[in-house]
Amino acid sequence: MIDTKILDLAVQDLRNVLRDGLVATDIWDRTAGLSLAGYNQQPVAVALFTRITAELESSLADSNFPPLARFYLLDMEGNHTVAVVNHGTLLQGMLVDNKRANLGILISVAIPRMLEAVARAKPR
Amino acid sequence: MTDRSVSWTDADTVARLLARATAPRRAPKAPFGPSGAAAARPMPAPARASVPPPPSVRPPARSKSLPPKAVPRLEHTSDNPSDRLDALLAWTLDNQRCTGAFVADDNGLTLAAHGISEAHVSLVGPLLSALVGVRSIPGIDATAGALWLGSNMMSWVEARTERGGFCLGAVGLEPLSTRAFEQLKEALETTVRGL
Repeated sequence: MIDTKILDLAVQDLRNVLRDGLVATDIWDRTAGLSLAGYNQQPVAVALFTRITAELESSLADSNFPPLARFYLLDMEGNHTVAVVNHGTLLQGMLVDNKRANLGILISVAIPRMLEAVARAKPR
Repeated sequence: MTDRSVSWTDADTVARLLARATAPRRAPKAPFGPSGAAAARPMPAPARASVPPPPSVRPPARSKSLPPKAVPRLEHTSDNPSDRLDALLAWTLDNQRCTGAFVADDNGLTLAAHGISEAHVSLVGPLLSALVGVRSIPGIDATAGALWLGSNMMSWVEARTERGGFCLGAVGLEPLSTRAFEQLKEALETTVRGL
Protein backbone atom coordinates (compact mmCIF):
# COMPACT_ATOMS: atom_id res chain seq x y z
CA MET A 1 0.00 0.00 0.00
CA ILE A 2 1.14 3.50 -0.78
CA ASP A 3 1.21 5.80 2.25
CA THR A 4 -0.97 8.65 0.99
CA LYS A 5 -0.19 10.77 4.04
CA ILE A 6 3.44 10.92 2.94
CA LEU A 7 2.25 11.84 -0.56
CA ASP A 8 0.10 14.64 0.85
CA LEU A 9 3.08 15.97 2.81
CA ALA A 10 5.22 15.75 -0.31
CA VAL A 11 2.68 17.78 -2.28
CA GLN A 12 2.61 20.37 0.50
CA ASP A 13 6.41 20.51 0.41
CA LEU A 14 6.30 20.97 -3.36
CA ARG A 15 3.92 23.91 -2.92
CA ASN A 16 6.31 25.45 -0.40
CA VAL A 17 9.28 25.06 -2.71
CA LEU A 18 7.64 26.33 -5.91
CA ARG A 19 5.31 28.75 -4.13
CA ASP A 20 2.92 30.40 -6.58
CA GLY A 21 4.88 28.92 -9.48
CA LEU A 22 3.06 25.61 -8.97
CA VAL A 23 -0.24 25.74 -10.83
CA ALA A 24 -1.31 22.12 -10.36
CA THR A 25 0.04 18.69 -9.55
CA ASP A 26 -1.21 15.12 -9.37
CA ILE A 27 0.42 11.89 -8.26
CA TRP A 28 -1.33 8.86 -9.70
CA ASP A 29 -1.10 5.13 -10.18
CA ARG A 30 -0.26 4.57 -13.82
CA THR A 31 -2.21 1.30 -14.16
CA ALA A 32 -5.42 2.38 -12.41
CA GLY A 33 -5.20 6.03 -13.49
CA LEU A 34 -6.24 6.89 -9.95
CA SER A 35 -4.94 10.13 -8.45
CA LEU A 36 -3.59 9.54 -4.93
CA ALA A 37 -2.61 13.10 -4.00
CA GLY A 38 -2.49 16.48 -5.60
CA TYR A 39 -3.12 20.18 -5.66
CA ASN A 40 -5.62 21.78 -8.03
CA GLN A 41 -6.06 18.27 -9.43
CA GLN A 42 -6.64 17.72 -13.16
CA PRO A 43 -8.25 14.33 -14.01
CA VAL A 44 -8.06 15.02 -17.76
CA ALA A 45 -4.33 15.68 -17.49
CA VAL A 46 -3.91 12.43 -15.55
CA ALA A 47 -5.49 10.45 -18.39
CA LEU A 48 -3.58 12.40 -21.05
CA PHE A 49 -0.14 12.01 -19.50
CA THR A 50 -0.70 8.34 -18.68
CA ARG A 51 -1.25 7.76 -22.37
CA ILE A 52 1.59 10.05 -23.53
CA THR A 53 4.02 8.40 -21.12
CA ALA A 54 3.04 4.90 -22.21
CA GLU A 55 3.47 5.88 -25.87
CA LEU A 56 6.79 7.55 -25.14
CA GLU A 57 8.15 4.56 -23.26
CA SER A 58 7.06 2.06 -25.91
CA SER A 59 8.45 4.28 -28.70
CA LEU A 60 11.79 4.57 -26.92
CA ALA A 61 11.90 0.80 -26.46
CA ASP A 62 10.92 0.10 -30.09
CA SER A 63 13.69 2.44 -31.26
CA ASN A 64 16.28 0.82 -29.02
CA PHE A 65 16.71 4.08 -27.17
CA PRO A 66 17.54 4.17 -23.46
CA PRO A 67 14.40 4.03 -21.32
CA LEU A 68 12.83 7.05 -19.64
CA ALA A 69 14.68 7.94 -16.45
CA ARG A 70 13.47 10.47 -13.88
CA PHE A 71 11.29 12.91 -15.82
CA TYR A 72 10.44 14.65 -19.06
CA LEU A 73 9.47 18.28 -19.68
CA LEU A 74 7.04 19.97 -22.06
CA ASP A 75 7.29 23.65 -22.84
CA MET A 76 3.72 24.92 -23.25
CA GLU A 77 2.27 28.14 -24.65
CA GLY A 78 1.58 30.82 -22.06
CA ASN A 79 4.81 30.52 -20.04
CA HIS A 80 3.88 27.12 -18.70
CA THR A 81 6.03 24.04 -18.26
CA VAL A 82 4.76 20.54 -17.63
CA ALA A 83 7.06 18.14 -15.85
CA VAL A 84 6.07 14.47 -15.78
CA VAL A 85 7.99 12.60 -13.12
CA ASN A 86 8.54 8.85 -13.32
CA HIS A 87 8.15 7.30 -9.88
CA GLY A 88 7.99 3.74 -11.27
CA THR A 89 4.47 2.45 -10.65
CA LEU A 90 3.36 6.02 -9.98
CA LEU A 91 3.50 9.03 -12.23
CA GLN A 92 3.37 12.68 -11.28
CA GLY A 93 2.49 15.68 -13.36
CA MET A 94 3.39 19.23 -12.41
CA LEU A 95 2.12 22.32 -14.20
CA VAL A 96 4.49 25.18 -13.48
CA ASP A 97 4.29 28.88 -14.34
CA ASN A 98 7.84 29.47 -15.52
CA LYS A 99 7.61 33.21 -14.90
CA ARG A 100 7.10 32.50 -11.23
CA ALA A 101 9.33 29.48 -10.65
CA ASN A 102 12.88 29.00 -11.89
CA LEU A 103 13.70 25.94 -13.95
CA GLY A 104 16.73 25.38 -11.71
CA ILE A 105 14.53 25.12 -8.62
CA LEU A 106 12.21 22.70 -10.45
CA ILE A 107 14.94 20.39 -11.76
CA SER A 108 17.57 20.57 -9.04
CA VAL A 109 15.42 20.95 -5.93
CA ALA A 110 11.71 20.18 -6.42
CA ILE A 111 11.95 17.02 -8.54
CA PRO A 112 14.72 15.36 -6.47
CA ARG A 113 12.76 16.06 -3.28
CA MET A 114 9.59 14.58 -4.80
CA LEU A 115 11.45 11.47 -5.97
CA GLU A 116 12.78 10.88 -2.45
CA ALA A 117 9.43 11.56 -0.77
CA VAL A 118 7.43 9.28 -3.09
CA ALA A 119 10.02 6.52 -2.65
CA ARG A 120 9.42 6.78 1.12
CA ALA A 121 5.66 6.44 0.57
CA LYS A 122 6.02 3.15 -1.28
CA PRO A 123 5.83 -0.22 0.54
CA ARG A 124 9.24 -1.72 1.32
CA MET B 1 76.51 78.55 -16.07
CA THR B 2 75.21 77.72 -12.65
CA ASP B 3 75.73 74.43 -10.83
CA ARG B 4 72.47 72.84 -9.81
CA SER B 5 72.12 71.98 -6.18
CA VAL B 6 70.36 68.88 -4.85
CA SER B 7 70.49 70.01 -1.29
CA TRP B 8 66.66 70.07 -1.06
CA THR B 9 66.42 66.26 -1.18
CA ASP B 10 65.89 64.32 2.00
CA ALA B 11 68.43 61.58 2.43
CA ASP B 12 66.05 59.27 4.32
CA THR B 13 63.35 59.51 1.68
CA VAL B 14 65.81 58.81 -1.09
CA ALA B 15 67.14 55.80 0.81
CA ARG B 16 63.63 54.35 1.25
CA LEU B 17 62.80 54.88 -2.41
CA LEU B 18 66.01 53.16 -3.43
CA ALA B 19 65.28 50.27 -1.08
CA ARG B 20 61.84 49.82 -2.65
CA ALA B 21 63.16 50.08 -6.19
CA THR B 22 65.90 47.52 -5.64
CA ALA B 23 63.92 45.08 -3.45
CA PRO B 24 63.56 41.62 -5.05
CA ARG B 25 60.13 40.95 -6.56
CA ARG B 26 57.99 38.30 -4.95
CA ALA B 27 58.08 35.00 -6.80
CA PRO B 28 54.68 33.73 -8.01
CA LYS B 29 53.14 31.27 -5.58
CA ALA B 30 51.37 29.20 -8.18
CA PRO B 31 53.17 26.06 -9.35
CA PHE B 32 52.54 27.14 -12.91
CA GLY B 33 53.72 30.42 -14.31
CA PRO B 34 51.48 33.11 -15.73
CA SER B 35 49.26 31.76 -18.45
CA GLY B 36 47.30 33.21 -21.26
CA ALA B 37 44.06 32.06 -19.70
CA ALA B 38 44.07 34.83 -17.17
CA ALA B 39 40.42 35.62 -17.74
CA ALA B 40 39.19 32.40 -16.17
CA ARG B 41 40.90 31.66 -12.92
CA PRO B 42 39.75 28.53 -11.13
CA MET B 43 41.53 29.34 -7.92
CA PRO B 44 41.10 31.39 -4.78
CA ALA B 45 40.64 35.06 -5.44
CA PRO B 46 43.72 36.83 -6.62
CA ALA B 47 45.24 38.95 -3.88
CA ARG B 48 44.76 42.66 -4.14
CA ALA B 49 47.75 44.01 -6.07
CA SER B 50 50.76 45.92 -4.78
CA VAL B 51 52.49 46.42 -1.48
CA PRO B 52 51.40 49.67 0.17
CA PRO B 53 54.05 52.38 -0.01
CA PRO B 54 55.75 53.66 3.14
CA PRO B 55 53.58 56.24 4.93
CA SER B 56 56.19 58.95 4.64
CA VAL B 57 56.24 58.72 0.84
CA ARG B 58 52.52 58.40 0.10
CA PRO B 59 49.79 58.06 2.68
CA PRO B 60 47.55 55.06 2.05
CA ALA B 61 44.02 55.60 0.87
CA ARG B 62 41.51 55.90 3.68
CA SER B 63 39.61 52.77 2.74
CA LYS B 64 42.75 50.64 2.86
CA SER B 65 43.58 51.76 6.38
CA LEU B 66 40.21 50.57 7.70
CA PRO B 67 40.09 47.12 9.25
CA PRO B 68 38.16 44.52 7.22
CA LYS B 69 34.44 44.62 7.85
CA ALA B 70 33.24 41.86 10.15
CA VAL B 71 30.86 39.67 8.16
CA PRO B 72 28.20 37.86 10.17
CA ARG B 73 27.76 34.15 9.52
CA LEU B 74 24.70 33.19 7.55
CA GLU B 75 22.06 31.75 9.85
CA HIS B 76 19.01 30.09 8.34
CA THR B 77 15.71 30.33 10.15
CA SER B 78 13.70 28.29 7.65
CA ASP B 79 13.92 24.78 6.19
CA ASN B 80 12.13 25.88 3.04
CA PRO B 81 14.59 25.72 0.10
CA SER B 82 13.26 28.89 -1.51
CA ASP B 83 13.55 30.80 1.77
CA ARG B 84 17.08 29.51 2.26
CA LEU B 85 18.13 30.55 -1.25
CA ASP B 86 16.58 33.99 -0.77
CA ALA B 87 18.41 34.36 2.55
CA LEU B 88 21.69 33.39 0.92
CA LEU B 89 21.23 35.98 -1.83
CA ALA B 90 20.31 38.70 0.65
CA TRP B 91 23.29 37.86 2.86
CA THR B 92 25.63 37.97 -0.15
CA LEU B 93 24.34 41.31 -1.38
CA ASP B 94 24.49 42.79 2.13
CA ASN B 95 27.94 41.58 3.08
CA GLN B 96 30.03 41.34 -0.06
CA ARG B 97 31.19 43.98 -2.50
CA CYS B 98 28.87 43.12 -5.37
CA THR B 99 26.01 44.56 -7.36
CA GLY B 100 24.42 41.24 -8.28
CA ALA B 101 24.34 37.69 -7.02
CA PHE B 102 22.91 34.36 -8.06
CA VAL B 103 22.63 30.70 -7.17
CA ALA B 104 22.66 28.20 -10.03
CA ASP B 105 22.89 24.46 -10.44
CA ASP B 106 25.78 22.84 -12.27
CA ASN B 107 23.83 22.96 -15.53
CA GLY B 108 23.69 26.74 -15.30
CA LEU B 109 20.00 26.84 -14.46
CA THR B 110 19.04 29.68 -12.15
CA LEU B 111 17.75 28.87 -8.68
CA ALA B 112 17.73 32.46 -7.48
CA ALA B 113 19.20 35.66 -8.86
CA HIS B 114 19.30 39.39 -8.27
CA GLY B 115 21.00 42.01 -10.43
CA ILE B 116 22.20 39.61 -13.13
CA SER B 117 20.50 38.17 -16.20
CA GLU B 118 19.75 34.48 -16.64
CA ALA B 119 21.92 34.57 -19.76
CA HIS B 120 24.93 35.47 -17.63
CA VAL B 121 24.02 32.90 -14.99
CA SER B 122 23.90 30.23 -17.69
CA LEU B 123 27.66 30.73 -18.19
CA VAL B 124 28.07 28.63 -15.09
CA GLY B 125 27.04 25.44 -16.91
CA PRO B 126 29.94 25.30 -19.42
CA LEU B 127 32.29 26.88 -16.88
CA LEU B 128 31.77 24.13 -14.30
CA SER B 129 31.86 21.43 -16.99
CA ALA B 130 35.23 22.71 -18.16
CA LEU B 131 36.59 22.62 -14.62
CA VAL B 132 35.86 18.89 -14.27
CA GLY B 133 38.95 18.27 -16.40
CA VAL B 134 40.96 20.84 -14.46
CA ARG B 135 40.19 19.03 -11.21
CA SER B 136 41.78 15.88 -12.52
CA ILE B 137 45.15 17.59 -11.98
CA PRO B 138 46.39 16.55 -8.53
CA GLY B 139 46.25 19.33 -5.99
CA ILE B 140 43.88 21.53 -7.99
CA ASP B 141 40.60 22.17 -6.19
CA ALA B 142 39.03 24.53 -8.76
CA THR B 143 35.85 25.11 -6.78
CA ALA B 144 36.16 28.89 -6.80
CA GLY B 145 37.30 31.52 -9.21
CA ALA B 146 36.70 34.79 -10.95
CA LEU B 147 35.68 35.41 -14.55
CA TRP B 148 35.99 38.73 -16.36
CA LEU B 149 32.69 39.43 -18.14
CA GLY B 150 33.86 42.49 -20.04
CA SER B 151 32.77 45.24 -17.69
CA ASN B 152 32.30 43.30 -14.48
CA MET B 153 33.96 40.49 -12.61
CA MET B 154 31.93 37.42 -11.71
CA SER B 155 33.33 35.66 -8.65
CA TRP B 156 31.92 32.22 -7.91
CA VAL B 157 32.19 29.32 -5.53
CA GLU B 158 30.88 25.80 -5.94
CA ALA B 159 29.55 23.25 -3.46
CA ARG B 160 28.70 19.66 -4.27
CA THR B 161 25.92 17.60 -2.72
CA GLU B 162 24.32 14.23 -3.39
CA ARG B 163 21.96 16.03 -5.76
CA GLY B 164 24.74 17.63 -7.78
CA GLY B 165 26.69 20.83 -7.75
CA PHE B 166 25.47 24.29 -6.83
CA CYS B 167 27.19 27.57 -7.54
CA LEU B 168 26.99 30.91 -5.77
CA GLY B 169 28.14 33.87 -7.84
CA ALA B 170 28.68 37.54 -7.12
CA VAL B 171 29.10 40.21 -9.77
CA GLY B 172 31.03 43.39 -9.06
CA LEU B 173 33.72 45.68 -10.34
CA GLU B 174 36.55 43.54 -9.00
CA PRO B 175 37.12 39.98 -7.82
CA LEU B 176 36.37 39.17 -4.22
CA SER B 177 39.09 38.66 -1.65
CA THR B 178 40.26 35.26 -0.48
CA ARG B 179 38.43 35.80 2.82
CA ALA B 180 35.23 36.67 0.95
CA PHE B 181 35.53 33.48 -1.10
CA GLU B 182 35.79 31.45 2.10
CA GLN B 183 32.72 33.20 3.51
CA LEU B 184 30.72 32.58 0.33
CA LYS B 185 31.68 28.94 0.25
CA GLU B 186 30.70 28.38 3.85
CA ALA B 187 27.37 30.16 3.31
CA LEU B 188 26.64 28.16 0.16
CA GLU B 189 27.45 24.85 1.82
CA THR B 190 25.23 25.72 4.78
CA THR B 191 22.39 26.59 2.40
CA VAL B 192 22.50 23.67 -0.02
CA ARG B 193 22.85 21.13 2.79
CA GLY B 194 19.15 21.64 3.41
CA LEU B 195 17.88 21.67 -0.17
